[in-house]
Amino acid sequence: MAAIELEGLTKRFGDVVAVDDLDLSVEEGEIFGFLGPNGAGKSTTIDILLDFLRPTSGTVTVLGHDAQSEGLAVRSRIGVLPDAYHVYDRLTGRQHVEFAIEMKGADDGAQALLERVRIADAADRKAGGYSKGMRQRLVLAMALVGDPDLLVLDEPSTGLDPNGAREMREIIREENDRGTTVFFSSHIMEQVEAVCDRVAIIDRGRLVAVDTIDGLRDSTETGETLYVYVTELDDGILERVGGLEGVGSAAIDDDRLRVTVDGVSKFAVLHAIDEIAGVQDFSVVESSLEDLFVRYTNEVSEVEA
Amino acid sequence: MTWFTVAKKDFRDAVQSRALWALVGVFVLVSLLSTYAYVEVPEMFGSPAGATFGGLLFFTVGLTGLFVPLAAIVVCYKSLAGERELGSIKLLLSLPTSRSQVLAGKVAGRAAVLTFGLGVGLVVGLGFGSLLLGTFDAVAALTFVAVTLAFAAIYAAIIVSISATTGSTSRATTLSLGFFVVFELLWDVVPMGILYVVEGFSFPTTIPDWIFPVMQLAPSSAYFSTIVALLPDLADTVGAEPAQTGVGAEADAAGAEPFFASPEVGIAILALWLVVPLAVGYYRFDASDL
Repeated sequence: MAAIELEGLTKRFGDVVAVDDLDLSVEEGEIFGFLGPNGAGKSTTIDILLDFLRPTSGTVTVLGHDAQSEGLAVRSRIGVLPDAYHVYDRLTGRQHVEFAIEMKGADDGAQALLERVRIADAADRKAGGYSKGMRQRLVLAMALVGDPDLLVLDEPSTGLDPNGAREMREIIREENDRGTTVFFSSHIMEQVEAVCDRVAIIDRGRLVAVDTIDGLRDSTETGETLYVYVTELDDGILERVGGLEGVGSAAIDDDRLRVTVDGVSKFAVLHAIDEIAGVQDFSVVESSLEDLFVRYTNEVSEVEA
Repeated sequence: MTWFTVAKKDFRDAVQSRALWALVGVFVLVSLLSTYAYVEVPEMFGSPAGATFGGLLFFTVGLTGLFVPLAAIVVCYKSLAGERELGSIKLLLSLPTSRSQVLAGKVAGRAAVLTFGLGVGLVVGLGFGSLLLGTFDAVAALTFVAVTLAFAAIYAAIIVSISATTGSTSRATTLSLGFFVVFELLWDVVPMGILYVVEGFSFPTTIPDWIFPVMQLAPSSAYFSTIVALLPDLADTVGAEPAQTGVGAEADAAGAEPFFASPEVGIAILALWLVVPLAVGYYRFDASDL
């Protein structure tokens, strides 16, 4: 059974289409990254999943329950780190976690959870005085209460320093190892890349890609890119370079040759290019999923075509 | 049930606010001062025959009728609109609860805050009064306190319901104050105005029957009528007429004829004030995008 199932999900705010006919299925037990630039519709989708917003059309099913009509059943089995939340300024961190424990009817110890997210030393201070990163940890602790079957985390790394982001990923992995499905959104590919089994990329309310990280790499020109300065450069040379063994694609970019290398040594390719047109200088760039993400979300029409 | 947990948290949150303690302080002070004034110069406050404990109660009703709506607005106008504006409602509704439970919890929590503050003030005021007067009527005092606290709880429900209809605290403020102005300040004038128009722009010699229930529609008038209905003997000796202690007393001159309808109507109207705003507030809250 799918942990999350979106079918034809659409949400309009007046004339603005925030989410446009989204179909998506997240399997139980996976860590699923929901990726897109700011304003792509990630939070809107998550807010519908949590029944904060009502869809214009389409359905959302979470752990077998309709998110709108059976919201209580959904929320009793999930842990949530929402977007744009605000803590209760006058209550302490411990009171927040105790509140979540009582609301969920769980028997967790507040202290253990606070230690796990590393804010135990600030547990009895009012949450109004917490930094953004501490609040994020606090709400994560609230999300972890009651061993949820599904964690829904909206931009979990917001406000965290690199160490905090790493700890967040560790917790995500630990939870996943215990069988929890994790669905989290991010606008930063790097964070998703590090932990996710599968990724969906959303832009302007539409789904532009769903695949595993490896699948995403394979589906596009990834691997390494060589930038080569050659003595002379024209279309004929470009064509000959493009035909070389191990060259994925070749293009002219700022008076340089831009060559992607697939499965052969860079040196062999450089050597071959040198025989066609003398190599003056070169640089190597490892193309990352970040590039891929940027291309997906900036050139949607081109990718679709 | 999660509403109780929500109510507890809300109460715990609110008791740490300085506004609440300022409110309690103000009410205790007002209560002491007015009690003292009443006992010293009863002629000025509707008891020409001298100060009595019953007279003190009915004098205090006039005060609480004004104080409770204002205090309810201060304590409750942000209850839900504020959580929506800030986003803490997302934390709350991420947990296994429902919007109806949250609304119920908010009403219970804020009602507890309001009745707690008011209760302290009333006990101090009435205790002080009975000390000065040397008399104490336990049944009347208990009835009065119970009805007043119920009235405060109902007012909390009204303002929380208003707060539930919007995600903006400024709109919640406008709506709450608008409610106060229309139902508490102007309400005596409204039915009279309608009567004036209906009768061809002149006042009839006798006031028709329907005016009384309409004037009692204001929550504080219904509260006063309820006190009269539950303490009829005291009301007779004090000479309290229903619907004359409303905040605005403009209607009194025109309403010189005795009223027909029974003060028990007030109890029914108070019950309606509990149910109707909650229904409207829930309907709007449940349908809204947060």
